[in-house]
Amino acid sequence: MYLAIREMKFAKVRYSLIAIIMLLVAFLVLFVTGLARGLAYDNAASIQNMSATHFIMEKESNHRFTRSQLGEGDLAQAGSITGEKNAQPLGVKMTTVTTKGTAHKLDVTLLAVRPEGWLMPSVTEGTAITSQSEGQAVVDDQLKDSGIEIGSEILDQASGMKWIVSGFVSHESFSHSPAVFLNERDWQQLQQSAARQGADGTATDKSYSAIAVKANKEQAEQMASALPDAEVVTKSEAVSAIPGYKEEQGSLLMMIVFLFVISAFVLAVFFYVITIQKSSQFGILKAIGARTAYLVRSVALQVLLLSLGSLVVSVLLVQAIEAVLPNGMPFKLDVATLAGTCGAFVGMSLIGSLLSVWKVTRIDALDAIGRTAA
Amino acid sequence: MRHRLRLENIKRTFEDGGMQRTILDNLNLQVSEGELVAVMGPSGSGKSTFLSIAGALLEPTSGDVLLDGESISGKNKKELTDIRLRQLGFIFQSANLIPYLKVEDQLVLVAKLGGMNKSTAVRRARELLNKLGLTPRLNAYPDKLSGGERQRVAIARALMNDPAVLLADEPTASLDASRGTDVVRMLAGEAKERGKSAVMVTHDERILSLCDRVLYLEDGRLVEKQLALR
Ligand SMILES: Nc1ncnc2c1ncn2[C@@H]1O[C@H](COP(=O)(O)OP(=O)(O)O)[C@@H](O)[C@H]1O
Ligand SMILES: [Mg+2]
Repeated sequence: MYLAIREMKFAKVRYSLIAIIMLLVAFLVLFVTGLARGLAYDNAASIQNMSATHFIMEKESNHRFTRSQLGEGDLAQAGSITGEKNAQPLGVKMTTVTTKGTAHKLDVTLLAVRPEGWLMPSVTEGTAITSQSEGQAVVDDQLKDSGIEIGSEILDQASGMKWIVSGFVSHESFSHSPAVFLNERDWQQLQQSAARQGADGTATDKSYSAIAVKANKEQAEQMASALPDAEVVTKSEAVSAIPGYKEEQGSLLMMIVFLFVISAFVLAVFFYVITIQKSSQFGILKAIGARTAYLVRSVALQVLLLSLGSLVVSVLLVQAIEAVLPNGMPFKLDVATLAGTCGAFVGMSLIGSLLSVWKVTRIDALDAIGRTAA
Repeated sequence: MRHRLRLENIKRTFEDGGMQRTILDNLNLQVSEGELVAVMGPSGSGKSTFLSIAGALLEPTSGDVLLDGESISGKNKKELTDIRLRQLGFIFQSANLIPYLKVEDQLVLVAKLGGMNKSTAVRRARELLNKLGLTPRLNAYPDKLSGGERQRVAIARALMNDPAVLLADEPTASLDASRGTDVVRMLAGEAKERGKSAVMVTHDERILSLCDRVLYLEDGRLVEKQLALR
């Protein structure tokens, strides 16, 4: 609009300075958001990659995969409600493995799935496991950095079981540890060896950690009542119960919130000071017939231009940074998150301008008369 | 003769420490087409109050203001803003112009607020500025103008929407004698030529000879005194 743009052109230095501050804050907001999303994904990639809508877990497990135990009966029950194909058993176990040739130990998460089912990710290198294969695993390609290759043997410390790496998958992790995919048969063996070592030594039929299901709302409710000892948990609930997930995301979210508040505050103070400086101008504009709404729009437009301008530059900046960021640095900013963050930033900026808007509405045109100097 | 500005029985009181002080009391004024009236009076006599009421910025306690015969009482804020935009032209003491608008844009803004289209606005602005000898300063910002030039721009801006009435608040306060005289001469000339009713509050005795009438604010009323020199 007429006034807003001409004023910004006239007072370039003043508005450039505030634009730079806004740009830095916007950049930081986007960067931290990308990092938070990246860490979130890195933490729980395997679960998030699963196309399940819900997970069925044991009631006392606190939504934790590693604490939960379910049996064949539960799987059959769930399958009868959602259709057999839409319920897939899942085994989750965090453990420590060693491998021949390297001395150090590796923390991994064992994920047992039906190789032919929809939980199994596609192999990027080597060959996939099948439900018939024995003693074979596909592992996350992060493990390449630890010297693991196709054909490497990995040894589970706790059970003493061994698996040969037959292939690699990518972006598969759980609680920041790389995933090792097994078939059901190897998983059952692992369970039995664990039971043998256990205190009572009796084998149980509790053999899965959870059941991944594709279900609509009614089916989820149906399952909840059909399985009294189990709980039907949404995917996002299951993800945030992964060890470390909530804590990590909580502190990053706090930073983001503070950045938003800071940006709104900086803008609010800047525009308030400018508005106070310009009170006599606003008085004159009102006296000669400018409506308050017109002046308010003008202030809001300036805020909007500043925040949009700094957002555009910082989005470009973030994308440039993302391109040069090392692979080990988890960073993920998809279009939806980017749009949401930008929207929130503009919203906060407009909230920051409210103080000035209020001030503008309070300025009296009467002040224009009888005034000696500006 | 047409009176484009009429004030009828204006009374204005202010509350002051629990007491009602009457500043304007039964004030009457009629200014005819083409006439420039000077209003004088000591400080505190109510000149600014009077001008604010005439300028639809302050409501009188009682009485009526008529522009082109039409009363402005009972109008809401928006309507009053519109009246100021279209029917009144203001020239203030100093902080008159918007610092970040070039001379031409100062005028175009007022036209835009009134909904005039851009090319008509530019044409009219140039014509007015040319008339007031400002063509060479068309693209200057106010801080590059002399005091006299600034007040001439203010006069041009006040005329932009072709108002019925011009109101000037000590327009020569910050000018030296010859520049002050120039400005008032232009104001008087434009009022005459375009058939406006103009009122100017002033302390400046040197410019009174350019006015058609000189009134004094005394005891809340305007009284006429014959000028010795004319
Ligand atoms: N808003 C107000 N509230 C109370 N008193 C006021 C107000 N405005 C003006 N006055 C009083 O009215 C009187 C006239 O003021 P003013 O019109 O400004 O006189 P002048 O412009 O002639 O100096 C002064 O005594 C002033 O104190
Ligand atoms: Mg005064």
